[in-house]
Amino acid sequence: MNFQPLGADLLTTLVFLPALGALVLAFLPASSKVAAKAIALATSFLTFGVSVLLYRGFDPATSVPEAFAIDRPWIPQFGIRYQLGMDGLSLALVLLTTLLTVSVLLVSCGQEIEKLKGYLIAFLLLETGMVGSLVALDTILFYVFWEVMLVPMYFIIGVWGGKRRIYAAMKFFLFTLVGSLLMFVAILYAANVHLHATGIQSFSLADWTRAASSGAWHLAPGTEALLFGAFALAFLVKVPLWPFHTWLPDAHVEAPTGGSIILAGVLLKLGTYGLLRFAYPLFPHAAARYGPLLAGLALIGIVYGAWVAAAQKDMKKLVAYSSVSHLALVVLGIVAGTGAALSGAIFQMIGHGLTTSLLFLLVGVLYARRHTREMADYGGIAARVPVTTTLFVLATLGSIGLPGLNGFIGEFLILGGVFQVSVVWAAIAATGMVLGAIYLLTLVQKVFWGPETSPANRALTDINGWELAGAFPLVALIVLLGVFPRPLLTLVEGSVKTLQRAGAPVAAESLSPAVAPDVRRLGLHEVAAPRTEAAR
Amino acid sequence: MTGFLHVGGADLACVAPELVLAGFATLILLLDAFARPVRAFFPYVTLFGLGVANLAGRDASGLFFGGAVESSGLTRFIELVACGAVALAVLGGAASLERDRRDQGEFYALLLFAAAGTIVMVRGVDLLVVFLGLELMSLSLYVLAAWYRDVPAATEAALKYFLMGALASAFLLYGIATLYGRLGTTRLTALQGLSSGSSFVPFDVLLSAGLLAIVAALSFKIALVPFHGWAPDVYQGMTTPAVTFLSTAPKAAALIVLLRLLHALFPAGLPEPWRPLFAILAALSILFGNVVALSQRDLKRMLAYSGIAQMGYAAIAVATFTQDAFEGVLVFLAGYLVTNAAAFLTVAALSGGETDPRTLGDFAGLGRRHPVAASVLTLSMLSLAGIPPTVGFIGKFLVFRAAVDSGLVGLALIGVLGSLVSVGYYLRVVYVVWMKEPVRDVTLVPEDLLSGAAFLLTAALMLAWGLFPRALLDLARGAAVTLGGR
Repeated sequence: MNFQPLGADLLTTLVFLPALGALVLAFLPASSKVAAKAIALATSFLTFGVSVLLYRGFDPATSVPEAFAIDRPWIPQFGIRYQLGMDGLSLALVLLTTLLTVSVLLVSCGQEIEKLKGYLIAFLLLETGMVGSLVALDTILFYVFWEVMLVPMYFIIGVWGGKRRIYAAMKFFLFTLVGSLLMFVAILYAANVHLHATGIQSFSLADWTRAASSGAWHLAPGTEALLFGAFALAFLVKVPLWPFHTWLPDAHVEAPTGGSIILAGVLLKLGTYGLLRFAYPLFPHAAARYGPLLAGLALIGIVYGAWVAAAQKDMKKLVAYSSVSHLALVVLGIVAGTGAALSGAIFQMIGHGLTTSLLFLLVGVLYARRHTREMADYGGIAARVPVTTTLFVLATLGSIGLPGLNGFIGEFLILGGVFQVSVVWAAIAATGMVLGAIYLLTLVQKVFWGPETSPANRALTDINGWELAGAFPLVALIVLLGVFPRPLLTLVEGSVKTLQRAGAPVAAESLSPAVAPDVRRLGLHEVAAPRTEAAR
Repeated sequence: MTGFLHVGGADLACVAPELVLAGFATLILLLDAFARPVRAFFPYVTLFGLGVANLAGRDASGLFFGGAVESSGLTRFIELVACGAVALAVLGGAASLERDRRDQGEFYALLLFAAAGTIVMVRGVDLLVVFLGLELMSLSLYVLAAWYRDVPAATEAALKYFLMGALASAFLLYGIATLYGRLGTTRLTALQGLSSGSSFVPFDVLLSAGLLAIVAALSFKIALVPFHGWAPDVYQGMTTPAVTFLSTAPKAAALIVLLRLLHALFPAGLPEPWRPLFAILAALSILFGNVVALSQRDLKRMLAYSGIAQMGYAAIAVATFTQDAFEGVLVFLAGYLVTNAAAFLTVAALSGGETDPRTLGDFAGLGRRHPVAASVLTLSMLSLAGIPPTVGFIGKFLVFRAAVDSGLVGLALIGVLGSLVSVGYYLRVVYVVWMKEPVRDVTLVPEDLLSGAAFLLTAALMLAWGLFPRALLDLARGAAVTLGGR
């Protein structure tokens, strides 16, 4: 199917539609709240619709984002191009982003929010930044979108956040900026290297990757290590990998519900996305050399995040630290680099985006009614809020990797893939999973089950229609991807093939003999097997 | 030999913009003396004059007045910068001047004279003409600094600026004289011939002393560390519309003159002692300006230190000294003009009056009182911090890129580090304006059409140049050709 011309225009629409909505909102008088909500919702639904259209027209055999691209000169004097494109990896994350934005806006319609117009504008601008980062294929263009994300998020935390919001917003901004500014210098340096190596002035990822894989870069190992370090730092701060994670709990605790959802659901994934899209393909030798270092940090992060989460009394902080742990597992999968580990990592990026967002959404539902996130203030509220409880339990089970829900597939694939590389890594990572079950189930038990402890909770009302509307798609996808993961795996299969570094192909059959029987017994070989006929 | 005093029509046509500016300045002075009731129209007369001056500018390039002045892409660039800076100052400042009954014609006339001086500075191919332009500009600004003469801070600012400015002028003249003593000419074009013709030693004591004096004088105008001492006090005391001009166009002109002189002396690239010197000046300005700005509570002082740091970024281009760097710095300066003007104008719009304290806390919660001005202020802070998609990012991108390309990665890293520090105070302004509860009741200048136009214009330019920098780059490229002589 020749989808190219339509696809090209759709990509630009996808990126700038939310910004257009924000612009319209800006001219609306602040008093017309209903109209503001309607415009914001309509924009987010339309954007989601566009991303679904892109999904329908997407050829799963696409293995490089350039195959599906729009490419125009932007600043021709310096060879900077307006180059957008997507492969399965980008598309999966774009779908997640546009869906979560819809969710956030739906939920915000159901809750009292001051300065509503600004709130909606910030989320729409944020969406443009996120989607833009996911589809930009020119490094400068990517950097622009990457930085554009910072400002709305700074406002979301700083204006609509909790007591220590200013501190949290500033910390978020500065931490992220340290990494990205170093990446900026690295981009400039890499462009210079590319110019000298090939004689072509280009900031295009495709050109650079070609130079990197053909060896035309001629990078000295030390230089490559520094460049890789600058790129990796920018992304690892965003992930955030231990020890760069300290901004995350602060940001999450202070951010409003919507901010937390987007932060956990999408922004963190952009870190791992950046590793996959930029840091690894551009500097493969340095990546291979420093892989064990990253793996070590990831392993510390898995255990440390889980351990610290178990000690939290604040629900949001607990979920935030669980994200530190879960995302570290994703990084471990990326470092392992086998087909299975990468499929799992990408699957887990989506899965974590869904479950953690749902958890934050539901904590936000409780917070909007009781204005506290302390676990001790709740207890035994299951009977008061049966629907919230059900959904929370579901999200928890999804998050700890119960078979039949999405978390299981991702974690299993990652662990299986990591196992091929190092048994020790896999063993340590698995302990993190066990700890995860402990602290998340403890959370559920303390908050929802047992005798009702506080009389203040008697007036607690259950999740309302708007909030439920926002939560529903997440719930549906958590279950759907758990029992029927294949569409997602097929979608990212092409990307995994391009990205995988260890020899093993994606198919579970070729997992090492030690893992393969287990995979077969669980029926996962169908899940992980490439859909060869359908794809061609 | 065509003498200096033999003036033809083509010579006059070359300096037409300056003549128009001076003409309108004189017209305003006369109107103010003999037709006082028309005072309310002075802003419009000034704007009209600026428009005419710009139309009078020519694209044709060449040397005139016996080779003492030139018309080129570069002079075209500075015409736009100088006229743009005056236009923004007038648009944003007219309302507050009228409110304070300080809207005498001299204000507008002096601004126009200062703009003419700025243009002459860059137009001069002869260092004496450069000096003339610099003096015309400086003398106008000394008076403007004391515009609110009953405000003690303003008279202090004027006195400080005048005394130190006079010293800088003396240095410049001394440097020019020394160069003349060594090389026998004050013509930049003649210098080029001299230096390419063998007997020229790259490090020559007399030449170096003269050049050092000129560099010090120009660095004073640019406010580079360690020649920055005047900036915070002058910025703080001077009336804000005038600072809008002072902090942009003169700095741009001085930097361009510096680049031209250096290029005339060293067409093959900066030799050893000079390149590290400018690298050090740049690094010191970036680090000192940004770190000290962090601790400022007065917004105009903070912007003064921020300006020192910003000029440090521009000085990176001097140390880099490639064609790309020249282009980059021109884009940077154009972006800095609109961004800084936006910052000062919105600060003026958000304060109660000339003597109103401008500590950061006083701006608490004003975002909701005057959302347009506060939004533009936010945008300008982001642009100063170099956050895309604003023009501030494009400028820094080009300057850093040129630096990295010519091997000055360390300097680029210092620049980036400075940007990081700067985010601390730029974002604090954003936070105070939007995220703090108002602490006091203040009567703001009523929103008027002219300042609204200035806000929209600067905001549009910050975003448009940030998103679609092609046109600006082409302009800068055209101008840089003259600068680099290629």
